Formats: sequence, structure tokens, C-alpha cells
Amino acid sequence: MSENNAIFDDPRKVFAKALVELGEINPDVIYISCDSSLGASGADFNKRFPSRHFEFGIAEQNAMGEAAGFATCKKIPFIAAYMPFVAFRCFEQVRDDVCKTKLNVKIMGNNCGFSVSALGATHTVLEDVSVMRALPNLTIFSPCDGPEYYQAAFAAAEIDGPVFIRIHRQKAIRLHNDDFKFTPGKGEILKKGKDITLISCSSMVANTLEAAEMLLGAGVDAEVVNLSTIKPLDSDIILESSAKTGRVATVEEHNIKGGLGGAVAEVLVKSNPVKMKMIGINDLFAVVGEYDELIEYYGLSPEKIFESIMDFLNTF
Amino acid sequence: MSRLSADDLKMLLEKSYMCRENILKMMRNAEGHIGGAFSSLDMITVLYNKILRHDPKNPKWPQRDRFILSAGHKCLALYAVLADQGYFDEEILWTYGQFMTKVAMHPEEKLLAGIEFPTGSLGHGLPVAHAIALAARLDNMDYRVFAMLGDGECAEGSVWEAAMSAGHYKTDNLVAIIDKNGLQVNGSTYDVMSSAPLQDKFKAFGWSTAVIDGHDFSQVYECLESVPFEKGKPSCIVANTTKCKGLDFAEGKFQYHHWHCEPDKIDEAIDIVNLAKSKELENVGK
Repeated sequence: MSENNAIFDDPRKVFAKALVELGEINPDVIYISCDSSLGASGADFNKRFPSRHFEFGIAEQNAMGEAAGFATCKKIPFIAAYMPFVAFRCFEQVRDDVCKTKLNVKIMGNNCGFSVSALGATHTVLEDVSVMRALPNLTIFSPCDGPEYYQAAFAAAEIDGPVFIRIHRQKAIRLHNDDFKFTPGKGEILKKGKDITLISCSSMVANTLEAAEMLLGAGVDAEVVNLSTIKPLDSDIILESSAKTGRVATVEEHNIKGGLGGAVAEVLVKSNPVKMKMIGINDLFAVVGEYDELIEYYGLSPEKIFESIMDFLNTF
Repeated sequence: MSRLSADDLKMLLEKSYMCRENILKMMRNAEGHIGGAFSSLDMITVLYNKILRHDPKNPKWPQRDRFILSAGHKCLALYAVLADQGYFDEEILWTYGQFMTKVAMHPEEKLLAGIEFPTGSLGHGLPVAHAIALAARLDNMDYRVFAMLGDGECAEGSVWEAAMSAGHYKTDNLVAIIDKNGLQVNGSTYDVMSSAPLQDKFKAFGWSTAVIDGHDFSQVYECLESVPFEKGKPSCIVANTTKCKGLDFAEGKFQYHHWHCEPDKIDEAIDIVNLAKSKELENVGK
């Protein structure tokens, strides 16, 4: 896609719009925030439905327990907080009160990856997928662009059970057309190819597509797969594509240990153990810097992804 | 103020001791948290027999009052009372300790009618209870939510997050009952981690509070009958209790927080509990 024609969406605004629409459709949808209700992905909901917005302050353990309690009363709570606080601070509430009970709680992890990297490593979460993926009953969405964020919100509401949605702060280039239909649990091939399978999610889908363009210029025809549902993982698309290409690389703005790379490897090692490269953050806490600086520093720019994959292909 | 009759007192006493006997029978199969079960049992007996609006034949009745046992390890008491109330067949009690029993060492709502929410990890019940109370407000319903906590449990930060939240939202259909038996796994709560003064702390968080003797049926009943103590405030009852109440050799000893009784000693323990019952029955109406 040429930059000139590109449309960029703010994931938080898209999600906020979807939440209001969900609130209109279903009076049981409520919104829970932890001192993050303004300017976040539920920003419009509290204005439109003030009686269905519950602010619980900087107290995420309580907020997650409250979300579970509301869900026992047939409410559909969407609970939002900065990623470290909603994924880690209240992890046991997520595990015991939400996942073990299979309650209808939708967890919005705001500012995933390097979204707010200038705030430092406390706020730069690169482990949420690793941790949340281990929880039974939890569906995990990691959308890549505006249309996918929008539909993921509706899909989350329709699922009868807990859903964790990773929401990025950086504006996302629109990759899907209006007629796009998001299907939970299904990956999608964004570019067909035969030489290597590139699998990514969230912010890294756009960079991977750009890297694939560069690869094509170097004579490598890569297949690009968007795995926006990390759990349950679409093992069919991984196995079908890898059977065709014989090589796989994953690209994620996340720790490769337990992240998307780990998830894909778990599928491949059982059924089709092809050579694999995991591109992402290799088990460290991030340095401080602006988003683009960190993307470059950790090798996640399209150019760096291209170089990594060329190295990988030259090795195997 | 509504008061208990002598017949009510006798009925409650007999039921609570019958439940103690049943708990000991369950413990023929396996160890259990007898200390907290026996300290909370009298209050749970009053709740289900005299306070809660509930229907054992329709456990999901939307208008029911809810009881959340935040200190989930006290569940032997809840199981015995629920069985007596007819939520499930008493035979289920005797499966305690067996593979895939429905009466596990911590309560599971998917296994057993009458369990509102699964608990076990401490500090989880009050946040859940508060949301259920807020949901009543959203749905224009008048049910009340009673959460029972342990005093040791009050060391969990999430208890105070929820306490702050209920004070903030002025949730007066929420009642927290603290079973203050003064003991926890490693000893006295004053030595392990003092949560005192509990009443003042809840008051400071915007609650209306009362202190009672958690084994005095009349006090328990009259206190629970009078909630909310203040309109626009959640109610907290700090109930002074005796760990392992009714089993004299174990009363007030932290070593009986969790007890593995030799199966051949159970009958002896039952005799001791029945002796305690007889003594208390003699005093009814005096």
C-alpha cells in the first residue's frame, strides 16, 4: 500500500466507538476503568452511559474481582487498564475469578508492546501474551488494524466467556477493506507466497507486509499470515502454509519466549517441525525511547525484519 | 427490634451442633479446615435459617440474597448448612476427600448448588460481592449481599481496595462479616500480621460497623436483622469468635486451623461436641 493513500486508525478510538455501539445494542454491556477512563479505549462509553461505567481507581485487583461479580449477574463487563496493571497486577483475579469460572469478562489491555515506551520498562509490557496464553478458557485477540479492532470488540461481546484484547496505542495503517469479516480463532493470509511463511500479529503485521515486499524484490516470495487470534490458535493455517513453504518466521512486538513465536512453535514441533526463526524481543526488559527508536533498536522495522529473514534464509 | 424466641435459639443451637457433628463425620475421610469452620458456623447457621431471603429449591432465584464465603477454606461449615437447608442431598457430604468430590476443600460453584462464587485464594470475595451488590442497583433489585471474611484474610490488600470501593459507592446492600477468631495458620493474627483495629479501619473506609460475639445467636441475629446500619453506607460486622468452637481441646489453638484427625478419634471428637451442645442447651432461656 502506498503511503500516500494510506489510512491510519487510532486503535483506542476505534475500540471506543465500537464499545458505544455495543452499549446501544446491549444494555448488559458495562465498562470498568482503573483511573484510565479518559482518553482510553472506553472514553466515549462513560459519556454515553454514565450509569453503566464503573470507575474503581488505581486498584486493579478489586476492579477485576468486581468485573467477575458483575458477570455473575449477566452483565458483560469490558474492563480496561494499562497493560501491566490489567495483565499482571490482578493476574490471580483473572485466573481464579474470570478464567476458572469462565465468566463473561472482556479484558482490554491498553498500550501493548512499545506503545508507551518512553515511560520505561514498567509500562512497556513484552510478556502479556506469554502469561495470559497459559490460562485455560481465555480467548486472546491481538488485532492489527482499525477494521480488525472494531470487529474484535463485537466478537468479544458475542463470545460467552473471557476474552483478552491487546490494544496498541500507535496509529495502525488500515490493511483491511470495509467488506472484511473478522472470524475469531481464524488466521488470514494477507499475501500469498511459496518460499517462507511469515506470521505476525498486531502492529507487526504492517511491518511484516512491508518486509515481504522487500523480500519479493530480493527474489523471495513470502506468504504473510495475520494471526490476530492468539488463543485459540489457528493451527490449520500454520500447518497448511508451512507445508507449502517449508520455513516459518514469526514477527512480534513482544518477548519471543512464550509469545506468538512460542505459540506457533508449539504447533509446528508436533506436526511439521520445519526450520523456524522467531523475530521479536529476546528475553529482556526494554530500554527507554520513542516508539520508532525502539522498533529500530530491537530489529522490528520492515528493513530489519527483511534483513533477519534474509540471514535466516541464507543459513537454511 | 426483632428478637429470637427460646424455640429459635434452641433450633439454631441444635442445627449448628448437628452441622459440627456432620463436619467431623466428613473428616473421617480427610483433613480439613475445622478451626474456621467451627468459628463461623453459628453465624452461617443464623444467616441461612433466619436472615437470608433464599430458596434451596431454586438456588439461582434472581431475587435471592447472596452469601459469598470469601474465606473459602471455611467451606465445611457452608457445606453442612447448605445440606441441612436442602440445597443438595446430605449423602454428598460423605464424599468429602474422595476423588472428584463435589465438596472440595475450597468451594466450587459449578459443582454444588448454593455456592455463589468459588473461593479459596483469600481476598477475592469482597470485590466480587461488592459488584453483585452494585448490579442489584443497576437492575433495580433489592437483594442484599453478605460476604464472610477471616481476620487473617484482612491482610490481603484487595480486601481494602474493595472496602474503599464500597465506601466510595455507598453500597448499603453490602454486608461484610469478619469472623475474627484471632488466629491464622502460623499463630495469632496479632503476632503474624495485626489487622487491628478492624472496626476503626472499616469505619475510616466509609462503612458503618458493629462488634458482636459471633457465637451469641441473639446478638448475631439482631445485628444481621438491623443491616444496613446506616443508609448510604455498607455494613461491617466484626464478630469475635473462637477458633474450633465446640471442640474444647482445640478451641483457640492455631494448630487446629487445619486438622488431620486420626479416623479412630472422630467418634471421640463427636462425643466432645455433643457434650458442648448439651451444656449450651441447658443454658437456653436462662
